[in-house]
This record gives sequence, structure tokens and C-alpha cells, in this order.
Amino acid sequence: MKYAAPTALLIALFAPLAVHSDSILAIAIYGFMAASLAVSFNLIFGFTGQLSLFHAASFGVSAYIVTILVTAFGWNFWLAVVPALAVVLILSLIVGTICFRFKLKEFYFAVVTMAFSEILRLVILNWNGITNGSLGITVVDRPSLWTPSGAVQISSGIAWYYLTLALLVIVYVVCQRILSSWIGRCLAAIRLNDQLGETLGIDVFKYKLLSFAVGSVLAGLVGAFYGFYSGFVEPHYLSISLGLDIIAMVLLGGVGSLIGPVIGAVILTALPHVIDLSAELRIGLYGSILIFVILVMPKGIVGLLGSRKNAA
Amino acid sequence: MSQLIIGQLLNGVIVGSLYGIIALGVTLTFGLTGIVNFALGAFMMLGAYATWYLYDVLGWPYVPAVFGAVIAVGIIGYLCDRALFQFTRGNLVNGLLVSIGMISVFEALVLAAFTTTPRDLTYVLPGALHVGGLILPKIKVAVCGVFLAVIFGTYFALTRTWLGRAAFSYAQNPEAAALMGIRTGRLQTIVVVYSTALAGLGGGLYASMYSIDPTIGSGYVLKAVEAAILAGIGSVIGALGGGIILGVSENIGSVFLPSAFRDAYGLVFLIAILLVRPSGLFGDRS
Repeated sequence: MKYAAPTALLIALFAPLAVHSDSILAIAIYGFMAASLAVSFNLIFGFTGQLSLFHAASFGVSAYIVTILVTAFGWNFWLAVVPALAVVLILSLIVGTICFRFKLKEFYFAVVTMAFSEILRLVILNWNGITNGSLGITVVDRPSLWTPSGAVQISSGIAWYYLTLALLVIVYVVCQRILSSWIGRCLAAIRLNDQLGETLGIDVFKYKLLSFAVGSVLAGLVGAFYGFYSGFVEPHYLSISLGLDIIAMVLLGGVGSLIGPVIGAVILTALPHVIDLSAELRIGLYGSILIFVILVMPKGIVGLLGSRKNAA
Repeated sequence: MSQLIIGQLLNGVIVGSLYGIIALGVTLTFGLTGIVNFALGAFMMLGAYATWYLYDVLGWPYVPAVFGAVIAVGIIGYLCDRALFQFTRGNLVNGLLVSIGMISVFEALVLAAFTTTPRDLTYVLPGALHVGGLILPKIKVAVCGVFLAVIFGTYFALTRTWLGRAAFSYAQNPEAAALMGIRTGRLQTIVVVYSTALAGLGGGLYASMYSIDPTIGSGYVLKAVEAAILAGIGSVIGALGGGIILGVSENIGSVFLPSAFRDAYGLVFLIAILLVRPSGLFGDRS
């Protein structure tokens, strides 16, 4: 399992040489973005033990801010990412401070983060002048990259493939660096027993807030790109059901493993395309998978694979 | 203006009693099995569809149709408890996620069977009461009365019967209750089934007032969980109180403030209560 992540990256880097299908490329791109969301969510849920339902809100708020700055105010895409992430950071610090200062326990934390997330969704849904309400905003622009031969728009599938792969690698490496440092050990102590952690001199509030803020900002980073690839942003991006999809991906892949959420996200993104199902049955299938995974294989796919040794 | 406010107040009480009956299920399930059953919203939806099917499609009279729906939902609840919930006792996160998964499954099944088209029951109890310039539809008053009767009935059953006292003792100390000869596993199953049946009743009566579609449940279960937390989890009469406070604050809030944000007023209120008084309005300080 130790070399699973580098091997997967190597395969992913060269896969477009072998696969030319546009639809497979599109599934891979959505899969990478979902995987980035799942990995960043797992930092908060799997490694710090906080069931946050604010993740979709961070993702959606950032997607909206970037889209509005680019389409309505004519900003450059990369410039617009900065204020979007700043807003997500501030929001997550506010929500996190309120929750962790009052030491809300698991279920209450989930409810309060969900409440904040719903409030943000309602604001976006009803702020018609700027967000265009329930219709959402169509995005035709594409971000561009500066190359020696001038600015190039990222519009082809291959370009998006490598861009989102890079995004996933960034999110993965940030989480991996945090978790392999002493911060990761503090987070593990908080997850296992936060009172004991406090007695050992760990600033529980600070590390919970750190994990929550970093995870949320990473989700915001994914959100910034998502709207530009899919071509539209809508209030559904902030919905609880997106948050639940992310949870399903993490659980399927394996809680408390770094590579697990990537596996779970790619499988759940590809699944509806592999077996052709109507939208309503797909939701039902997601639900059944969620139930099955929790009751039958609580450690997810990674738990099954790595049962001989500790999973990476 | 004052008429408008009194009208909204009464509307709030009626909607609040619907929140309350599901909140009662949430509170009981949490107290006895340690999980928050989000699927109660889905059971409410099933109850509404079962009532609609028996009443409008098969042509049963309304009251037997509701009874039939409650029994059907109770049976589904029993099967779910045996197949799923009994494995998540005391594990809050797993129970939460399993129940959320069940929402998707039930919604998908109902969607596949009856599509998204909203269904309306033919009028069950037409007409309205005129009280001092206010117009109250008879059906809403009747439904509210049934909910209040069921909630108070549950309260008296819990305080006056052997089974109720067994439930209270289990909530206080499961091991001691088991040592006193209470069959705790069966008690938990009874409570889970009773909660689902209550949700089914809520759905059956809801169907007589509003049109139903497969997604009605998720909104109401959120409100019910809000109401249960607002009141303090574990409090039976508090569940009703929490529901009514929530219903009234939404309806009165939307008179003075933009009504598009009516769902947000309850949430703001909930966050404030949780931070200031985590055990809820009617809960013990502990």
C-alpha cells in the first residue's frame, strides 16, 4: 500500500496517451475534483473526527465568488481565486470558532455546521440581483495559463485533465504533509480523546480550527475550478446532499486513509456512467452503498485491501 | 395587522404540531437507541403516500386509510429496525449515515413508483371555521387536535404505564434497567417502531392538508430535529413545545422579515440556543 499513491499518479499521468475517449476524460476530470473534495473532507472527518456538513458550503461559496468576479466584473480567473479563498477562510474561521469555542460534541457540531451551510445556501438562493437565484449563472469563460508563447485558454479536455490532476495532487500533498507532521499527531489525539489530548498540553481548539479551516479552504479551491469546467454554478452546489455525497465517497474508500477517499470518489463518479441508471435510481443506489459500507465494511475499500498490514 | 399576526400565530401552531410529532419520534429514538433517525422524514413521506394510495386510489374512507398507512409504515419500520438499525445502536455517526442512506433509498423507490408529480387528496373535510374574523380551515384544526392528543397521550403512556417507566429507566441507566428484568432489545425495537408509526401518522395527516411529493420528508425531518434539539433531546412535551416555537417563529418571522428566509429564522434561533443553553430550552442542565 505504501506505493499506491505514487503508482496511481504515474498511471494517471500517462493514461491520456492510451485513452482518447472524451467521455472517459470528462469522468476522470469530475472524478479528480470529487476526489479533491473527499480528501480535504477526510482531513476534518476522518483524521480530526469532526463530522462537518459545511464542506459543500465552502465549495459552493467559492464557486460563486469566482464566477461572479469573472463574469460580472471581468476579473482574471486566477486573481478571482484569491478573494474567494479569503472569504472561505474567514467563513470557516467564524463557524469553526463558534463551534469549537463552545465545544460542541459530534452530533451538535454536525447540526450547527449544517445550519450555517443552509443559511448560506438560502442567502445565495435569494440574492437574485447578484447570484441569479435558483437559475444559477452560466459560465462561458475559461481560465488561461501563461506560456512562453502567450496566454492559452484552458479549454480542451486534456488541459482540464492535467489541471484537475494537479489540483488533486496539491490537495493530497497538503493533507499528507499536515498529517505526517506533529500537527497530524495532535489531530489524531483529538480524534481519539480530546479531553486526554487537552491534559497532555495540546491546544485542542487551535488544532480543530486549523484542520477545519484548511479542509474548508481546500474545498473552496476545488469550487473555484468546478464552475468553470461544468459551465454553470447553481445553489445546489451548497446543498446538504452534496455534503452527503462527499461523506459517501470517503466512507466507501476508507475513513482515516489518504488514498481511500480518492478511490471512493472515482468509483462513485464513474459508477452512474458504467451502469446506465435513471437519476432517481442512482440516488437510491448511493443510499444503498452508504448503508452497505457502514454496516458491512466500516473501513471501506482500503480496509479490505490493506487488512494484512496497516493501510497507507 | 393584528388579525394577520394572530392568523400566522395559529398557522405556526398547526405547522409546529406537525414538527412536534416527528420531533417526538426523534427524541424517543435518540433517548433509547442513541441515534438520530433522519429517516423519520422518509417514513412520514411513506405514510403520506400510503394514505393517498388507500384513500384516493383504492377508495377507502379517510380514517381507515390513515390507520392502514400507520400500520404499513410501522411494519416497514420494524423491518428496517431488524435489518439495519439494530446494528447501529449507540453509534451516533453510523446511525445518522445509515438513516440518511435510507432517505435516498425510500425517495428513489417512491419516485420510481409514483414519479415526481405532486399528488393531492380529494377534500377530506371541506369548510372552514369563522372565529372572530379569522378563517380557519376545519381540516387544519382537526389535524392539530389529533397531533396534540397523540403527543399528550404518549406523555401519559410514558409516565403511567409499565412500558413507559421501563423506557425512562433505560434512558437513565441501560445496565440497571436490564438487571431489573427489562428486555432492553425489545424495548428499543418498540420505540423505533413507535417513532416510525408516529412519522407515518404525521405524513397521513399532512396529506390531507397539502399536496405531497417524494421529497416532502427531508425538509420536515430537519425541522423536527431542530425542534427536538431546541427543546432539549429527551423531553417529550418539549418536543411539542420546540415544534410550536419553531413553527411560530417561522410564521411570525416571515410577517416582519423577508419570507424567502423563513427557513433561516429557525436555524439562527437553533444556533443561538445551542450555544447559550446546549441542553435545550426544556432539558436538564447537565
